[in-house]
Amino acid sequence: MKKSSLIVAAVLIGVFVLGLANVATAAKKKGPKGVDLYKEYCKPCHEADSDNGEYTPMTMIQDQWERFFDKEFVDSHSAVLDPNHDNKPVTEAISEEDLEKIKAFAIDHAADSEQPMTCG
Amino acid sequence: MTRRIISMLSLLALVALPAAAGKTYSHQEYFEHYEGTSTCLTCHEDEAETFFHSQHYQWTGETPAIVNADGKLLGKKNTINDFCTNPVPAWIGITKNSRGEVLSQGCSKCHAGLGKMPSAEMSREQLENIDCLICHASGYNRTLVENEDGGLEWKPILWKNQEGLDSVSKRITMPKRTSCLRCHSGSGGGPNYKRGDIEYALADTDREFDVHMGTDGGDMACMDCHAGTSHRMRGRGVDLMGSDSPDRLRCGDGACHETAPHAKELLNRHAVRVDCTVCHIPAFAKEDATDMIRDWSTPDYIEEKDKHLATITMGANVEPEIAWYNGTVWAQLPGVPVRTDDEGAIAMVVPQGDRNDANAKLHAFKVHRGMMPVADESHWLLPINVEEFFADGNMDGAVREAAHVVYGIEDFEYGWMPVKRYMGIFHEVQPADNALRCLDCHGPDGRLDWANLGYEADPLAAALTPSH
Repeated sequence: MKKSSLIVAAVLIGVFVLGLANVATAAKKKGPKGVDLYKEYCKPCHEADSDNGEYTPMTMIQDQWERFFDKEFVDSHSAVLDPNHDNKPVTEAISEEDLEKIKAFAIDHAADSEQPMTCG
Repeated sequence: MTRRIISMLSLLALVALPAAAGKTYSHQEYFEHYEGTSTCLTCHEDEAETFFHSQHYQWTGETPAIVNADGKLLGKKNTINDFCTNPVPAWIGITKNSRGEVLSQGCSKCHAGLGKMPSAEMSREQLENIDCLICHASGYNRTLVENEDGGLEWKPILWKNQEGLDSVSKRITMPKRTSCLRCHSGSGGGPNYKRGDIEYALADTDREFDVHMGTDGGDMACMDCHAGTSHRMRGRGVDLMGSDSPDRLRCGDGACHETAPHAKELLNRHAVRVDCTVCHIPAFAKEDATDMIRDWSTPDYIEEKDKHLATITMGANVEPEIAWYNGTVWAQLPGVPVRTDDEGAIAMVVPQGDRNDANAKLHAFKVHRGMMPVADESHWLLPINVEEFFADGNMDGAVREAAHVVYGIEDFEYGWMPVKRYMGIFHEVQPADNALRCLDCHGPDGRLDWANLGYEADPLAAALTPSH
């Protein structure tokens, strides 16, 4: 095989691999949004007048959400069973990927963000 | 020895870690817990007093630029405009639609106070009503809360979260773009509805959108031009009734630009009678459309929101209208018979000056039109309690309720009249490459109405026409 053909083949393979990677990234970004996950996993136990305390993104500032998800979530929720998800502990009911989305939603709409929000 | 040094360094790192992780803010050391405006007053009572007297708090001010004000203090609080008319009847309250959804919370949402109506007399209660954080604390947001006594008050949304509130209340700075835009872009009921040239996009934009504020341009904040002393802002546009600061904010006063800023002498000759805005703001409302016509006589119902509104005609990428302006205006004041212009419209705000006025220059304007109620007998312009109308669609009730609050009148008949307001366009300035070219004004399809400006014809065309 000529050297030029080898280069063309290598470029084509590279483009194909990069294309696959992009498809994989796009697939990863799909799925439910943070707001929907917040409604599904958080809101049922933390809506207004809840015994567990009302929590919406704008209940706390961004630093507090960061601290909560990084340092407090596991300790405070590993013994809590989620009745809407087969009574699994909350920490198991929410996948790592979904938890990241929930965290991003809470931080993006925290009390000190540009767009403080409840979760509807 | 090496092991000892490593141990010591590790211990230092552990001690230093929490401090490095925590953030420090401008007022970190000045107080521990924020307990409301009284916390600010501990050190800033003098500043609070100056703010109390400012237009941002009083919503009235001195009126050197209003030729028919006769020395009165005027502002949005005691005049009637053709957007939401007057804030007093709908100062504070939670207006809900038939589905129980909140439609509005009162005009005080954009007042730099905590809900009490500003009074003319200064008092401790009034000083404590000032919401310093709404302009000075980045990350501060507030909500309307019903107190135990049934009264309503604007409170930080973090009012139940002392740790969060303590953090935000210590982030004190000069007002940032987003602080100003929160009210000045949102006025009139929606993004860019009222002003046309003050869009939320200015928070983070490029020089093609606004050469001054573009982060790749001048990267200027609102306060770079508008900061005055003692809480008195510089600049009043054209149609604001009150002036916070007596000096007129100009581009070419030497502070930023010279009076002859161009390399070409021909352009500098134009600058003597043509304000920068005419050529350098070819269009406004570039991202968010703006309210060009608000017809309160033809109610509209937005089913999606279950909300009643005026019929509003929006405009995007609007070409400004050009008129002479010498820094003063005539304004339609409340409690005096309305005055109409050649079109039969009530002249809400009319720039003064003409071709023969040496102090006048051509300026760029948004001309807002609409329909407003006018009392039959007195010919007074009438206000509308717009928030009441949002919910129930009862325009007659909203007019009568507002007229009672503003004028104290009850038995009256009224009709509807067209209105017209000139609003100065000063933002979204374009770099030279995007400014108007000669033929944009002087060509056969030029944008200037020469006859209306006092010329027999386009002066360039006249100069090129051979004389006999």
